[in-house]
Amino acid sequence: MSLLIRRQIPIALVFITALLIMMDYFLKLPPLDARGVSWTSPVVKDLQNWGVILTAFALGFGAVNLFILHSRHISRRTVKQWPFSVWLLLMIILFTVVGVSYGATSPEYSWLYNSSYFALSATVYSSLGFYMTSGIYRALRARNVDAVILLVTGGIALLKNAPAVAVNAPFVVSIDSWLNAIPTTSAMRGIMISAALGAIALGIRTMTGKETGFLGRLTEAEKGG
Amino acid sequence: MREKRGFWSRLEDIPREVLYGLLLIAFIIPMIKPIGFPVPVSPETQKWYDTIDKLPAGSVIMIDFGYSGGGEPELGPMAVAVYHHIFKRGGLKAIAMSTSIEGPLLWDKAMAEVNPSQYGAQYGVDYIHIGYIAGTETAMAAVGKDLRATTSTDYKGNPLDQYPIMEGIKDASSFDLLIVFTTGGDQSEGWVRQWVTPYKTPYLCSVLAMMKPTMLPYQKAGQIIALTSGAQAGEMEYLVKVPARGIKSADVMTLTHLLIVVYVIVGNIAYYGKKYSGG
Repeated sequence: MSLLIRRQIPIALVFITALLIMMDYFLKLPPLDARGVSWTSPVVKDLQNWGVILTAFALGFGAVNLFILHSRHISRRTVKQWPFSVWLLLMIILFTVVGVSYGATSPEYSWLYNSSYFALSATVYSSLGFYMTSGIYRALRARNVDAVILLVTGGIALLKNAPAVAVNAPFVVSIDSWLNAIPTTSAMRGIMISAALGAIALGIRTMTGKETGFLGRLTEAEKGG
Repeated sequence: MREKRGFWSRLEDIPREVLYGLLLIAFIIPMIKPIGFPVPVSPETQKWYDTIDKLPAGSVIMIDFGYSGGGEPELGPMAVAVYHHIFKRGGLKAIAMSTSIEGPLLWDKAMAEVNPSQYGAQYGVDYIHIGYIAGTETAMAAVGKDLRATTSTDYKGNPLDQYPIMEGIKDASSFDLLIVFTTGGDQSEGWVRQWVTPYKTPYLCSVLAMMKPTMLPYQKAGQIIALTSGAQAGEMEYLVKVPARGIKSADVMTLTHLLIVVYVIVGNIAYYGKKYSGG
């Protein structure tokens, strides 16, 4: 395939799309219609709806991909994997058949979801509490100054989140509020601004073709050096 | 031969089964026999409650049911309490959508718990769910720009035009308030970028307790009116006067959190005991 199709056209498409969306978000470019809406608005509306449709399509595509991948595991009898692959495919088939036959909001489908996936995912998430408790007992030690700071702030957060303590010891709530308002917010702002600057840099590199991960497998020459 | 371990060493290495067992007891006792510890109402929950309470009659609320099954035990009670409030308050229109694929099923579950008919609320007139819309932030932006162009049916696949609640609803400017229940950072932050910043929609956000620090900068900047975690559901239930799962879990939270504080103290005593006694 020529370099034009594999590299230049996709980069041009990304550049134009990203530019249109940014222009629509940050600027109100003339000409405006009678409602004061910029010409970029209907174009971006269509692009966003394409995005929604493509993401929905990707979900279906993901299911097909899972099917192919796990079918391979079963046919090759991959050690310590293929029985789980069989179970996964059975579940995909079961949910698909019930969803297509009765509808994804039917009582039948809801029952299947509530009594299998929902119960399991809630259990797995809740069980983290036990692991964290064990981790806290073994790791939260006042070994040095840093650890003491972590221990004290962690202790205050724990006490503040115990409703009965928060009622009877309001000073814990005051300290926790200060911790949230000043150190936590400051640190989070720093992290967020740094991440945003990184995202802007990555966006510019992608738009200008310096970042080529989204183009798939390219040779060094095709990547442009 | 097995080396004989001292008291402090054994205390420091308490088997996790013991730690888990005690925690389980602290969970189970208040679930079986509620203790009735007091539930404080934080300023954030009060602000959330007041925001809904002071909405003018006829106001339209967009609600994102954006949590997954794993987060339901934490966020579900909060969502249920908020729906109770909306219906009890009356005169409000609640239009829900989901940025999480499990959202419509969990919304159904929440509605079964709320039982809107007890307040005289009707589906399609006072509340509706317009379904899961894929694409997370793209979905938020698309719905904000033109809801009907993004989806033309509700979560059951019925045309939106047949429901009176959807009359005059076009885009983000049709909504007076945005409420988000989510287990995802992309969702909680995405709504700020796609609705709050461009359309100035007032925003109430409820996330998992561990996600709250991430959202604090937005709250402090005034982009979120009130930020709560699902763990505060008991406070909302107290304000709405519909005690349910949230208030029950307040006892559990008090006992388990205190137990963990005890674990931290015992762990440190064991650590220093071992250090200074030589085992």
